[in-house]
Amino acid sequence: MDGEYFSGAAYRGSKQFSQQDVRTANATGFGAAADDYAERGIDLNEQLIRNKPATFFFRMKGDAMTGAGIFDGDVLIVDRSLKLADGKVIVAILNGELLIRRYHKNFSSAFLIAENERFKSINLAEFNDFSLWGVVVYSIHQL
Amino acid sequence: MKAIVDCNSFYCSCERVFRPDLTTRPVVVLSNNDGCIVSRTDEAKKLGVGMAAPYYQNKDVIEKNDVAVFSSNYNLYGDLSARVMDTLRELAGAGNVEVYSVDEAFLDLSTVPNEQLYKVAKEIKETVEEWTGIKVSIGVAPTKVLAKVANRLSKKDKQQSNCIMVLDTEEKILKALKQTAVEDIWGVGHRSSTKLKQLWSIYDGLQLRNMTEEWAKTTLGGVVGVRLIKELKGEQTIEMKDPLEQKKMIATTRMFGKPVHELSDLKEAVATYTSRAAEKLRRQSCAAKFIDVFVVTNDYEGNQYEYHPKTKHNHVKLLQPTSHTNELIKNAVPLVEKLYTRGSKYLKAGVMLGGLVPDESIQGNIFKTDTANHQRILMQALDNLNFSMRDDVVKYVASGLKRNWKMRQEMRSGRYTTRWDELFAIH
Repeated sequence: MDGEYFSGAAYRGSKQFSQQDVRTANATGFGAAADDYAERGIDLNEQLIRNKPATFFFRMKGDAMTGAGIFDGDVLIVDRSLKLADGKVIVAILNGELLIRRYHKNFSSAFLIAENERFKSINLAEFNDFSLWGVVVYSIHQL
Repeated sequence: MKAIVDCNSFYCSCERVFRPDLTTRPVVVLSNNDGCIVSRTDEAKKLGVGMAAPYYQNKDVIEKNDVAVFSSNYNLYGDLSARVMDTLRELAGAGNVEVYSVDEAFLDLSTVPNEQLYKVAKEIKETVEEWTGIKVSIGVAPTKVLAKVANRLSKKDKQQSNCIMVLDTEEKILKALKQTAVEDIWGVGHRSSTKLKQLWSIYDGLQLRNMTEEWAKTTLGGVVGVRLIKELKGEQTIEMKDPLEQKKMIATTRMFGKPVHELSDLKEAVATYTSRAAEKLRRQSCAAKFIDVFVVTNDYEGNQYEYHPKTKHNHVKLLQPTSHTNELIKNAVPLVEKLYTRGSKYLKAGVMLGGLVPDESIQGNIFKTDTANHQRILMQALDNLNFSMRDDVVKYVASGLKRNWKMRQEMRSGRYTTRWDELFAIH
């Protein structure tokens, strides 16, 4: 598709790099000593995104999750391909709305818990339309 | 075996990804400029909302039944489409995926044993939905034409079929063809279907399949007809295509937000469409040999909904094929001046770039003067800036700063996946 070809123009991904991209590779003499250690820089896309087609970004609104270190205005990285598990911070679908909470499950019941005392926990036994939208894997906080 | 994966009411499905409250509510998406309905869910279809029908004609039904209406959000749809295709490549192997349109792809499943086809199709369907949120239907059969038939039937009764249909036996193929009207077969146009019914009493796919290749050669348009009959009989004649096959022509055309009267607005619009078409041209490393500009007027006085459009064309052959926006604008804008008559109401304009040839200037040419290379570097810089910053941050002044004619999109959802400042807000 057009779109893909286009994305190649500005961002070539991190795995396609040539010798020319490594600044010291063609140097000789004194500078060449550094060549042995030449490698490419850290790429956040590669570090933070495990499954690209399944990864989406959200913006945190409000203070329901401050205890988990997620604050108003933070950017959340959400992976839809991960499975629901106890203790994960998730994007839940509840009453047709998207909601960020920590998922807690024991033998008999499951809860969505806010990380802020002002919010009540949600007992999922009272809802029959709960489902998982995705699992939050990182939160980006601007200082 | 071949499979076709087709997204269900694709644009509506995209709107539902971030709006689970719409999962069971009818949804429609409007065309550019909010004119027509271009996508509708099964729920909306049941209410009698027509496809490609003007929005105003359906307004009553839509309001009465609480149908969710969206202006088209092509940024979102494009991104989700790329995600669906990436997921398919991940699952089936990149070389086995042929992207057919924004919401359809053919898969080559020739390495999958027959008894596992259903399982594989189900896994593909479930994974695409899990990863991207988009629901798809899958048809699997020995040929592309039959896969299309299977896909169409899988959508008929989604609950029963679970959106998957595999035609892996002769018996199933015959039954499916019997249930498919001749005009619903991929490759049979409206005109030939009328002919088939009137002259040959062929009404369904099975009757067509039973015809001979000699017959197809003389009555179904020669080689194409023979291929169609072979495909229906289960013999592969349409191979997987190279997805990067180049286009022969590039067009950019839009309806205006409101009718345009001024020549200056018209010129701005044409300059903008030319820039956009030039961008597409460079993306496939081509240069154009001629430009065709057209405008559509509606000078009918009376009911505003009555539509009596008139199209006027004008074209010019370029001295040298080019992909440079400034060259193209320089040639396109004078064409509008000749088309323009004061007092007319303009609804639409478009630019077509034709006679495409590989752009040699892209390689740079040591025999050319330096300035030719400057142009190429300028275009690269322009494309990179506009791609990374979006919204045409760098544009030609000819394309206007106010843009009075820009299209209406009153009910567009956020561009949640392509804009950092429009991310979906979650509580």
